Parts: sequence; C-alpha cells; structure tokens
Amino acid sequence: MPGCDRRSFLRALGALPAAWSLGPFGSWLPNGDERSLLVLELQGGNDGLATVIPTGSKQYAKLRPTLGAVRKGALALGDGTALPGSLAKWHGHVIEGRATVVHGVGYAQPDRSHFRSRDIWQVADPQLQRVGAATTGWLGRAADRLAGQGAGVPAAALGQLEVPLALHGQRVVAPSLRSIEDFQWSAPAGPVAGDSPLRAIVAGAAAAGDLRAFVQQTQLRAIELADDLRAALARYRPHAEYPDTPLGRDLQLAARLLVSGFGTRLLHVGFGGFDTHARQLPTHTALLGQLDAALDAFLRDLAGHQRQQSVALLVHSEFGRRAAENASQGTDHGAAAPVFVAMGGSVGGTLGQVPDLDDLLDGDVRCTVDFRSVYAELLQWLGLDAVAVLGQAVPALGLWPATGRPK
Amino acid sequence: MNDLLAPWQPTAGDPFDLAKVGHLVRRGGFSASLAKRRELQRAGPLAAVAQLAAPGPDGAAMLQQLLTFDDIQRVRAWRVWLVLHGEHQLQLRLSAFWHDHFATSDRKLLDPRSMALQQATFDRLGSGVFDELLAAMCRDPALLRWLDNDVNTKANPNENFARELFELFTLGRGNYSEADIRAAARAFTGWHVRDGRFHFAAHLHDAGDKELFSARGPLTGDDVIARTVVRRESAEFLAAKWLRWFVHPEPERAEVDALAAAYEQGGRDVGAAIRQLLQSRLFFSPRAYRSKVKGPAEFVLGTVRSLGGRAKPAQLAATMGALGESWLEPPSVEGWHRERAWLSPAAWLLRSNFVADLLAGRGQQLAPAPRTLMPDSKKPVDLAKAAFLLLLDAVPARAVLDPVAAVAAAHGADADAAAAAVLHAVACLPEYQLL
Repeated sequence: MPGCDRRSFLRALGALPAAWSLGPFGSWLPNGDERSLLVLELQGGNDGLATVIPTGSKQYAKLRPTLGAVRKGALALGDGTALPGSLAKWHGHVIEGRATVVHGVGYAQPDRSHFRSRDIWQVADPQLQRVGAATTGWLGRAADRLAGQGAGVPAAALGQLEVPLALHGQRVVAPSLRSIEDFQWSAPAGPVAGDSPLRAIVAGAAAAGDLRAFVQQTQLRAIELADDLRAALARYRPHAEYPDTPLGRDLQLAARLLVSGFGTRLLHVGFGGFDTHARQLPTHTALLGQLDAALDAFLRDLAGHQRQQSVALLVHSEFGRRAAENASQGTDHGAAAPVFVAMGGSVGGTLGQVPDLDDLLDGDVRCTVDFRSVYAELLQWLGLDAVAVLGQAVPALGLWPATGRPK
Repeated sequence: MNDLLAPWQPTAGDPFDLAKVGHLVRRGGFSASLAKRRELQRAGPLAAVAQLAAPGPDGAAMLQQLLTFDDIQRVRAWRVWLVLHGEHQLQLRLSAFWHDHFATSDRKLLDPRSMALQQATFDRLGSGVFDELLAAMCRDPALLRWLDNDVNTKANPNENFARELFELFTLGRGNYSEADIRAAARAFTGWHVRDGRFHFAAHLHDAGDKELFSARGPLTGDDVIARTVVRRESAEFLAAKWLRWFVHPEPERAEVDALAAAYEQGGRDVGAAIRQLLQSRLFFSPRAYRSKVKGPAEFVLGTVRSLGGRAKPAQLAATMGALGESWLEPPSVEGWHRERAWLSPAAWLLRSNFVADLLAGRGQQLAPAPRTLMPDSKKPVDLAKAAFLLLLDAVPARAVLDPVAAVAAAHGADADAAAAAVLHAVACLPEYQLL
C-alpha cells in the first residue's frame, strides 16, 4: 500500500509491478462502452471517523463523548469498522462487493485550510504553492487527453455554476450544468430553435489576448453544446427513483449524461455542508442520509442501463476532522479520512489500515494512503496515462487484479 | 510619490475619453448611464473619482423599516436598489468588496436582520480606517455566529473564527502559526451574541496569558486586532486583494508594495488608499483595461445602469443568484470565486438569456423600452453604433460593427425588435463579458 510519506511512497513504487508505468490501456476498451468517472466532493471537510467508524477502538468513546452516539445502529464492515445507520444502503453496496471503502486517505503535512486543501486535492499536488490562471486540475488534465478521442463533452461539472479547479484543463472548457433547461437559448424575439444567431456575432469579434480568447472559446462552446445536449438528454429513461434533493437531482443529471451516449467521461459533483464545527450529529446524519439515498439511486439507475461496470465513482472530501470532538459537540479541521470507490471489476469491501486511535498524529488520524494513488487507480481504469496526468509516477492502489485489466 | 500610484494625467495622445470613463465607472462603481459618463468625462479624472467617492445619504430610516420585515429577499433587494440608484457608487463598491471579504451567509444564520445590519456596517465603516472596520466585524453578530465564535469559551476554545481572521480577513495563509491561531481563539473566548447583539460573556473569557506573534500577555480580542492590523503582511494582503478587485487579477510585487505602503502611510484609511488607486497611472494603464471577467452583479446591474434604465431589484437579485452570485449567500467564508470561474459555458448562456429577457420585457422589465434609448437612430448601422456607445466604450471598426448592424437589419421595419436585437448582440460580444 503506497503511504503518504516520501519513504514509504518510494518503497511502494519499487515493490509494485510495472503495470502503472505502461501508459494508456485504452486499446482493450470496447467501442460504445467508454469508461467514465464521477467524482463526488463532500465540501467542508467530512468527518471520516463518523462516516467509517472504527468500532473496535476503545479510544473512540473517550475522544467523542457525545458524537460517539453515532455507533448506535452502526453496520459492521468486517474489519473492525462500521458504517453509521444513515449509510445503510451504501453498506449493502460495500458488503455485496460493488463498492470499496479505502481507509486513511490524505497526504503528508496536511493543510487545515478548506481552500488550500481542496486545491491540493483538485490539482493533485500536495506541494501546491499558488493557484493561477494557468493552474490545471487533475480531471482537466485527464479531459485534455480524452478530448482527442472524439468525446462530445469529455468533462462537466454538476450542481455548481462554477467549474471547479479539478476540471480546469489546458484545452478543454468543461461546462457546468444544473439542469437541462439551462441549455435553451433565448433572443429578445423569443426562444431560439436550432442554431443560435449569436455564433456569427461571437465568432466574428476580434478576440486578441489570452483573456478575450478564453471568453470567446467559452461562448462558442456554449453555442455548440446547447443543441447537441438537449437532443442527447431527451433519450434517457430512469431506472431508479431519485430522492428529491439537490444531490439526487445532480446525480440523476449525471446518470442522464452518462447513459445518453453524449461521450461524457468525467463528471465532478459538489455536495456541501460538511463543515460541522458545532452540533454535528443531527447535521451530519442528515447529510449522510442524503448521500446514501442519492448514491443508491445512482448505482441502481446505472445498473438498469447496464452501465454499472463502466462507470466508476469516487467520493472524497478535502480533509477529515480531528479525532476528538470539540466543546461545541462538533469537530474541527483534521487530516486523513476514508474515501469511497466504486469501480467495475473491483472486489469491494474495505482496503487499507483501519485508523489507529491510539496512534494519532497531532490529534489526527494518520494518513496511510496517498490520495494520488486513488487517482492513479482510477486514471488507469479509465485507460489513461496516470503518470502523464499526475505529473509523476504514483503507485496505484491495486483495487483490480494485478494486471490492471478488468475481470 | 510612488510612480505607479502617481495621478494619471490625460494628454492629447491619451485623453480622458469614454473608454477611460467607462473603465472608471465599472471598477469604481457598477457602471453608469451614457449621460452620466459624458458628465464625468467633462469633469475630468480627479473630479470624476471625487464624484464616485461622495459619501452616501443617511440610510437609517430605510434600514429601520427593512429590519421590521425580517425577510432576506427584501434585504437583497435593498442592496440591489442601492446599487441601481445610489450616487455613492464607490461606497457601495467597497461594501460589496467587504461582503466578499468577510463573506457571511444567511444560509447558515437564517437571520435577515443581522445580515442587514452587517451590510449597514460595511456602508458605514467600509471606506474608513481598517482598524475600526475590523473591530466592528469582530463584534458583528452575523460574523460571530457564522464562524461559531458564539460557542468559543475558555473551557472549550473553538478556533474557527481565529483561523479565518488570520487566513482570510487580515494576514493570508503562511503569515501566522497554528500557535497564533490557538492564542487568538483564546483571546476571543466569550465574544458572543445575545438577543441579536454583541455580548461579552466575561465569565467565559480566558483572561490568562497568551503568546501571539512571539509576544506574551493576557491578550483580549482587541489586543489581537491591534497587533494584527499593524503587521506588514496585513497591508500587503489587503493591497493585493484591492489590486485584484479594482485593477488586475494578477498584481505584480511592486504594485502590491506600492499600495501597501500608501495604505500604511495613510493611517490604514481604506477610502483614501482606494481613491489614490483609482486616480493612478496604474489604474488607467492598458494592463488594467478589460483585464477582469465581469461577475454576475457587474454584468446584471451594470447592464441596467449602462442603459440608464430601471428594473425590479428583486428580479435582478434572483438573476444574480441564478448566475452564481446570490448576495448574502456567498458559497463559503472564502467568498465568491472570481474571474474565469464566473464564466462557464452554462453561465454565459444564462447571461445572454437574461439580457434577451430584459430587453423583451419577459420576467424582467426594463424601463424605458429599448427603442427609446436610441431615439435618433433609424438605420441599422446607426442603431448598432448607438448600442456600442450605450454598452461598450466606443464605436468599433466596420468589421465588428457590420455583423451587429445586420442583426438589426433582419428585423426590417420593426423598430422595437431591431433595437432590442442590436443591444442583445452587443451584450453578447466577448468584450462585454469583461470588466
């Protein structure tokens, strides 16, 4: 298992088979069943110890005198950890082998700033110094490579008007979508059917300089997308009932994009509200309940469309929270935390070292898995060159059987 | 006098033209009607800045009335109404800046009164000495509750407020230690809220010795403020943010140093520093012009103001929200993500549709009607020229003008439709998306 400090990282590199360094694996992918990835970001710093509970630890009750109540009704995962009752449906997916819990994911020298840590995760650079106009995100760099493969909209952000840094590429302008209705053009004279008259106006304008070129490219992309997208999305019929929550709507739109043959390979969805400094228990339970219902509908919908094996899912947050609860029955900013992965061909269950609450680092769960090794795994699974996207060789987790090919 | 911040002087070759005026009213306010821009042009750059910086009227009566409603939609509409109609544009611009800086969201607070009072504090102190604004914000009920300082006690310190005080409000990341945060958190213990007002709970305050920035003592919150505002890092942090906001998204080191020095020499008077900046060679340099992406407020409210029109504040506020800038509900304490983050393909489509609906009177009502904004223009090319003057800063070359004129021509004799179509086309040009 690739750890977070430099030494264990290099050790793991030496020990692993060379599969990760072979470059793209795209050739075996059957046509028409392109692999896609949805990244769901729990924004605000999700409390990992209330999401995957180390029930075997005696320290838990001491560290969390009130929040420890979450153990009541928790559902065991078989390695001394359990999911809270609010994640009951997700528990079924993990136990039945469709999803994996990876313990202790983070990076060395954790940054406790939401914004900094989020940028580190989104750029995939623990040494990130400064975010500028040219900074690219890991999904954006992946999308740059997919753009050459004829994908219609290789990447998109859902549930947020803003395109997250993760999706910023050098070439790709990823759209952000909130609903299909967003993509109907209007002119003063009324709704526009067919090609927009704006194309000539926008394309004809002089767009000297980097910023103007960016604006013009964004505008032309919008014009191009609108018609194609509406037509593609109209073909979708749901196979599961989604909860009527913002996350439920976002994941349904994701499924719609994924099954409509629109060529969307990378999706980023934001789900906020996890910055639980005070009175955490009811808030966090409700958030996990929403997550549980929406993820379950999403997986069942994909299964109904025969896409479950070709869509991967990563659920992560910018950091976990301190092991001990604070005085406000909440938790403060911490470090490593579990992530969820669902990926065709993997065996599910749990992976990695269960957090040791007797061996904390500065009050935090120790990082035992470098987050980039989760990315490397997913990138390889997508058939992409993980070394090129991540900028260096990062050992993958080894979730699929050793050759790096699906079952 | 520092060269970068020396007053810009118009010359025959580089006059104070409508492009310069447009730049000034977009950055120092939320744009202005063509008539107003011509008036400012005649006044000259120094008088124009002075006009923008005029203090606002006493809004106490309106605020009191607003507080009785306790309705966040009305608070938002109040802010939009002020921007649409207020002459004190720079003060309102700074209030918007501080709202982004001390970004507090009603989504957590569900307390419209406190949110309104916080905005009024920005109006009152936002152009003054930063020390006073910061002291007021550290006693601001909305901000204290937003950052959980209302549960920060001696027995159980909560670091959230102290962390953001240093990271986002004053010093910036890397300019303080985790120990400084712990000390500041203790200094602000007991700074609570009771009945919607600041309340110092002495029995919950930690009066013990703390070590902040390598100095020891029984520090209070006010001591933390006093020791923080005088740090050079604070001046540089604020200067860099003002430069990004008013001048250019990627300021250079020398520019930050110059503005930080001016701010410190001026006794940390924010208004004085910003006025100096808006008059400066740096501000009027080609590097600054159209170097920023318009945000939703700048786009939506700027469009209505540039046209010299009126529209319903509540509807404009809703549009801003749909475009990603719902005032009083910033996405996080970090404020809104600016510049290129504003402009995804979806966001631009919504902007284009907003202008179309506004001009057509669908959902949004613009008064007066588009046709009457260009009374002297009949021919398509004249309509296009008039639209460029209303919305952009100059009439362009024929290569850009003609496709827009063709849009008007497509509507034949329907003068209302032609006027609306031509304004919509100009608002869709790449240039118009830039501030």
